[in-house]
Amino acid sequence: MKFQIPIGPQHPALKEPISLRMTVEGEVITDADIRLGYNHRGVEKVAEGKNYIQNIYLTERICGICSHSHSTCFVQGVEKLMELEPPKRGMYIRYLVSELERIHSHLLWLGVAGHEAGFDSLFMYVWRDREIVMDLLEMITGNRVHYAINTVGGVRRDLDEAQKAKILEGVATLRKRSEYYLDLGANEPSFVARIAGVGLLSLEQVISLCAVGPTARASGWDRDVRKEDPYAVYDELDFEVATADTCDVLGRVVVRIKEVLEAYKMIEQMMKNLPDGDIACKAPRKAKPGEVVSRYEAPRGENIHYIKANGTDKPERLKVRAPTLGNYPATVEMLKNGFIADIPLIFAAIDPCICCAERAVTLVSARTGEESVVSTAELRKLALARTKNAPVKRNAVWPL
Amino acid sequence: MTDAELIDKLKADLGDRVEIANPARRRLFLKVAPGDLVAGTTRLRDAYGVVLLSTISGVDLGTAFEIIYHFSTPEHDFNLRTEIPRDDPRVATITTVIPGAILYEREVQDMFGIVVDGIPDGRRLLLSDDWPEGQHPLRKDWTHDRPKEVIPGGQS
Repeated sequence: MKFQIPIGPQHPALKEPISLRMTVEGEVITDADIRLGYNHRGVEKVAEGKNYIQNIYLTERICGICSHSHSTCFVQGVEKLMELEPPKRGMYIRYLVSELERIHSHLLWLGVAGHEAGFDSLFMYVWRDREIVMDLLEMITGNRVHYAINTVGGVRRDLDEAQKAKILEGVATLRKRSEYYLDLGANEPSFVARIAGVGLLSLEQVISLCAVGPTARASGWDRDVRKEDPYAVYDELDFEVATADTCDVLGRVVVRIKEVLEAYKMIEQMMKNLPDGDIACKAPRKAKPGEVVSRYEAPRGENIHYIKANGTDKPERLKVRAPTLGNYPATVEMLKNGFIADIPLIFAAIDPCICCAERAVTLVSARTGEESVVSTAELRKLALARTKNAPVKRNAVWPL
Repeated sequence: MTDAELIDKLKADLGDRVEIANPARRRLFLKVAPGDLVAGTTRLRDAYGVVLLSTISGVDLGTAFEIIYHFSTPEHDFNLRTEIPRDDPRVATITTVIPGAILYEREVQDMFGIVVDGIPDGRRLLLSDDWPEGQHPLRKDWTHDRPKEVIPGGQS
């Protein structure tokens, strides 16, 4: 007997509106369907009516977790269109914020994954440590979420020696703790037992469904824009692309912690080699007609902006593809043949919850498919009868 | 393989059916006729290892629609573009070659009103179910009139 379970778009367990429709047979998911558009704000249309400077602030507001990645992707495209050579110091500061953002995003994810796997101590430890990097971001940019540090031609705030020392100090603390989490995530028996083999996605599926980011890298697909198409400072940095070959949630945990460790390495290199000089160059107001494809490795995967200029101070077309959209077809495959209890874990970034999804008054027998409609009053009567007969001692006195 | 070598190879392979531009390092813009789109994508996948589709961009040119398929390999970015007339916007699906293209094709259908022939799942993706037929927000002639805000009790 098949059931269809709708989750969302408005649901207490969802932080963002998305509609998932699961077809289940007993506990096993046989099919999944995703419906989007509940949060569509028409950013691409709005961008056509705003100038390049206004669009930095618009693109920054596409996402609340990886806000810097969208504005950076847009700005580096516009700099190519305007044929600017931004000063090196500005670039180092911009991509320093990028790597700090990657750390905060991955730590946030790791905490949520720990929470969904029923390992709340990990969640609390990780989110405590995430405050270190949030404080660093606030110190550098003045903001915790929308950093607003990018501008066409560089960045808007400089770093001083005291801030550099604080960043290195914070990174040293975080590295020690992240190594502990890597050990914990890969070896703690109950946690591993919960996440290993969940949400399987084979390498063939990754390739055919065009999955990106840590999701793809956990299946052994070692593509990273920072490595294959190094933008700005990444060809001067020494780092490795983190991969895993377990193809499951365990692999995704390991890949993300390894990426965080690589990010610490990159931040230390950037702090050591931070050049002197200006942080920004003067940018023209208009861009010559032309087009550019700007790619950026956001925490969740490849972020791509296509910008077409028409000679005015506004873009003719701005096309944005955020990595999560690229991973939806793969998510559907991951959910198939999984258990209902694994949905939150597989879908961890969006946090759906299934246990409170269905409160229907149509009762369907799981074995025969026979339907019987029950009125609310009858349902209440049944519920009262059940409580009455429950093996709870009446008028029990709490010993304290 | 450098960009120049790859362009020579592509030209020898695909002949004059393709126009190639190379505005920056790694970035290749290939223009094909709409009829050659599926064949071109198949050839790129089989002979050049082009499997990762990043997105599909639609552009309203006024008299025509341009559709750009952004592919990449570890060495190069292939941006395959084609132009279709605005009064009969039809294009063949590439999901037979790249199954991961489905969401992007649905997005192009919603936003530009381009009909993707042979799409396995042509339902709306982003527009709501009660959105009027024939309204496609990213067309240049589409404008949004914000309904006047009605404040109960009137403006204070």
